Amino acid sequence: MSKSLLVISRQAPWSGPGAREALDIVLAGGAFDLPIGLLFLDDGVFQLAPHQDAKAVQQKDLGANLQALGLFGIDEVFACHHSLAERGLTTPASAQPLDSAAISQLIDRYDQVITL
Amino acid sequence: MKFAIAVFCAAHAPSSRRALLFARAALAGGHEIVRLFFYQDGVYSASNSVVVPQDEQDIARQWREFVSAHQLDSVVCIAAALRRGVLNEEEAMRYQRSAVNLDAPWELSGLGQLHDAAQAADRLICFGGP
Amino acid sequence: MSTLHVVSHSPFTDSRLDSCLRICGVNDAILLCGDGAYGLHNAALQTKGVKVFVLAEDMQARNLPLPDWADSVDYPGFVQLSLDYDKVNSWL
Repeated sequence: MSKSLLVISRQAPWSGPGAREALDIVLAGGAFDLPIGLLFLDDGVFQLAPHQDAKAVQQKDLGANLQALGLFGIDEVFACHHSLAERGLTTPASAQPLDSAAISQLIDRYDQVITL
Repeated sequence: MKFAIAVFCAAHAPSSRRALLFARAALAGGHEIVRLFFYQDGVYSASNSVVVPQDEQDIARQWREFVSAHQLDSVVCIAAALRRGVLNEEEAMRYQRSAVNLDAPWELSGLGQLHDAAQAADRLICFGGP
Repeated sequence: MSTLHVVSHSPFTDSRLDSCLRICGVNDAILLCGDGAYGLHNAALQTKGVKVFVLAEDMQARNLPLPDWADSVDYPGFVQLSLDYDKVNSWL
């Protein structure tokens, strides 16, 4: 049986290639049919904020990659409730909010973790 | 036990040295390193164009010597490397760049190699940041 | 299941240790290294009651005393810790 991997993405989409490169790990794992989970934590939840405009800073839209998660078989997508609330964000449609205790259990459930 | 070690920082970051010392200690302890994978700024830890003052530690060179001495499987992520200008001869030629700063023992390949290593290992250990 | 969290950022300039403490499980441990070693001065770490380790060389380099609620490890100790816990979560 394949080992499962949880990627914890902590970077806003505008701080360089970090957020995209974290997502690339997730998508690559999905392409190999591996059990992959994705948790947005801290500034990572800014990736889920609505109506962002990548063109304003001549960047590619990360949202398109986020929408590809389902196509790559990634349906375990979570967001830290504390991080969302702290940043005044409402619960996004694309990620299931988890409180701190649930995040602790989530990490327990996976074989390996990468926090970027 | 089998380790997969992923490096996310340049050679000048303390965490690159930490990764190297961890890797040495793992081998010294009788463990196996199934693969070293260099991602994000970790690709700079594999660059052979790093020059440090004589009285400072040359971590990039130490990485190269360590990998060669133990004939470790060491992969540099190709997408992360291209973005940061770390190129082997083939890629420099492909994109018509004048500098080649990556050669043996490093291999350029994709993120699948990270997943492959993580699957084969008992532990995946990542190093990065300060 | 247990996780060894590795933190190398100073808790005085960075939120990683705060976030780590928030989601840390009862069976988990935290290894402080690099500027993360300054976490030995962080009261929250002690009160959380989670097991705390510090990389000896980083403690020595910074002239930090080892409190009675933490243990220091060298590199062979770090390797052993990574095996004693089920997984390692490095806060990159």
